[in-house]
Amino acid sequence: MTQSDKNSAGKSAAQQKSASQPTVAGQKRKRGANTSKLSLDARYESWLRHHRQVAVDSAERLIRHPVASILTMLAIAIALVLPAMLWLGLGSVRALDYDLDSSARVTVYMESGASAKQVSELADEIRNEQSVGSVKVITADEGLHEFQQALGVNDATSLLDANPLPATLLVTPKEREPGAVDALSRQLGELNGVDEARVDLEWLERLHDIGVLGQRLTLGLAVLFGLGVLLVVGNTIRLAVENRRKEIEVVTLIGATHAFVRRPFLYSGAWYGLGGGVLAVALLTLGRGWLSSPISALAQSYGSDYVMPALGFSGSLLLLICSILLGLLGAWIAVGRHLADIRAR
Amino acid sequence: MAIISFEHVGKRYGGRFEAVADLNFSIERGEMVFLTGHSGAGKSSVLKLLTCLERPSRGKVVVGGRDLNTLRNSQIPFYRRQIGVVFQDHQLLFDRTVFDNVALPLLIQGIPPQDAARRVRAALDKVGLLYREKALPIELSGGEQQRVGIARAVVNKPALLLADEPTGNLDPQLSADIMRLFEDFNRIGTTVLLASHDLALIARLRHRILRLRQGRLIADEEGA
Repeated sequence: MTQSDKNSAGKSAAQQKSASQPTVAGQKRKRGANTSKLSLDARYESWLRHHRQVAVDSAERLIRHPVASILTMLAIAIALVLPAMLWLGLGSVRALDYDLDSSARVTVYMESGASAKQVSELADEIRNEQSVGSVKVITADEGLHEFQQALGVNDATSLLDANPLPATLLVTPKEREPGAVDALSRQLGELNGVDEARVDLEWLERLHDIGVLGQRLTLGLAVLFGLGVLLVVGNTIRLAVENRRKEIEVVTLIGATHAFVRRPFLYSGAWYGLGGGVLAVALLTLGRGWLSSPISALAQSYGSDYVMPALGFSGSLLLLICSILLGLLGAWIAVGRHLADIRAR
Repeated sequence: MAIISFEHVGKRYGGRFEAVADLNFSIERGEMVFLTGHSGAGKSSVLKLLTCLERPSRGKVVVGGRDLNTLRNSQIPFYRRQIGVVFQDHQLLFDRTVFDNVALPLLIQGIPPQDAARRVRAALDKVGLLYREKALPIELSGGEQQRVGIARAVVNKPALLLADEPTGNLDPQLSADIMRLFEDFNRIGTTVLLASHDLALIARLRHRILRLRQGRLIADEEGA
């Protein structure tokens, strides 16, 4: 039980108290077991008790019709799996993107012949720039060494009079947005002692666009399928309201508040959401188990150690919470609409 | 002091049909009053106005000193808890036992279970059905079902008891039994307003009678 729940409980109890002012008798009612007045504590107690009763009762109603309940939950689960998969996929794209961090890196070539002191001074100067995340210095000697390793020769210098490579600074910007990187690159290119600053903008822009597209696609689908969940739950709850129409009419006639009438249906919606969420997590876990070995094999053949992303604990929890909230919301909308309908009769 | 008073109350449906027109009467605390007239005379409208199922188009209905026009929608449930209502078709829930049906108003009000059980048994005892508490309504006769409906209406010890044709579907003997039950509640101080078209029966009972015709009060006969 969260603090806000407690507060709202206290509040609703207080509201009930003030709302119950009009007494038919207009007389002072006796305190005690004979009267219907309850203390705030007792009201809170009974509020909690009713929540427990209704939670259990609505779960039992779902269990009494196991096939119908499972089908509804499965429909919810399927609607949740697709956006969740895309969301996971987006995460792994981001991970790939992170591996390709070098794409956003600005390579600053010093003028050849710069001394080690000049190089480190310039590196410090660049480090102090606000938009710069980190600077890695590759001296001319290190550069040559790398070059030799890459070529697979041991003694390239023997063919050359002197080291032809300039000292290089690898500057990683804080922002990876193409415009900002481009601006940084231009700025660095104009510094004293710098021969040239380079960045592969085209690739960076492409990556950026893919990222944005992926995000929008995921968001769009999540909204669409979330709406699907609302419709599934809403329709199921609508039928439940219809089935219990008589009961709703009777309890309304004898003094049930809207909250009292709504409560069992909200719990049903939450249970459907929870069931659907659990099934979705199960489907995603099974699906991952099924797909991960061929995908890793495929990735390995390309020389990548790509691993299929998993939901993990926090991902599963997030999915469950979203699913429960969608169930609640669907139930709320359906119940609100149909209660208004019933009362109008 | 009057527990119910109608002051120039009118109720129109759909702008034309006038179910109740300029109705004026008041009922004192502790009275037992019959409301009679042909169907369509406005009996049901009067009860609907008293239970806030309808709002008057004109005039005001005052119950227990409170003008019902001033009740906000959110206050209506709390108002309804203070009056007991018995319906013609008793409005029992058939998927619950007799006990649970009678306990419903107490459940709605959040009365602790032990306290509620005691009150439910007391109410069932009064209508003579304590021994059927575990039965389902479907297992009961029509008269017994109506008595369960009455137990549910009085379980909360309301100061005002309303009944809409409570003997509508019962034979004369059972109807007389049911009426005696209402008289018992009236004797311990409950104000009873009972709508009925069973003129022979209510004439015998010698209580005050309000006669309605076409939404108007045509006679107010004091009981003996």
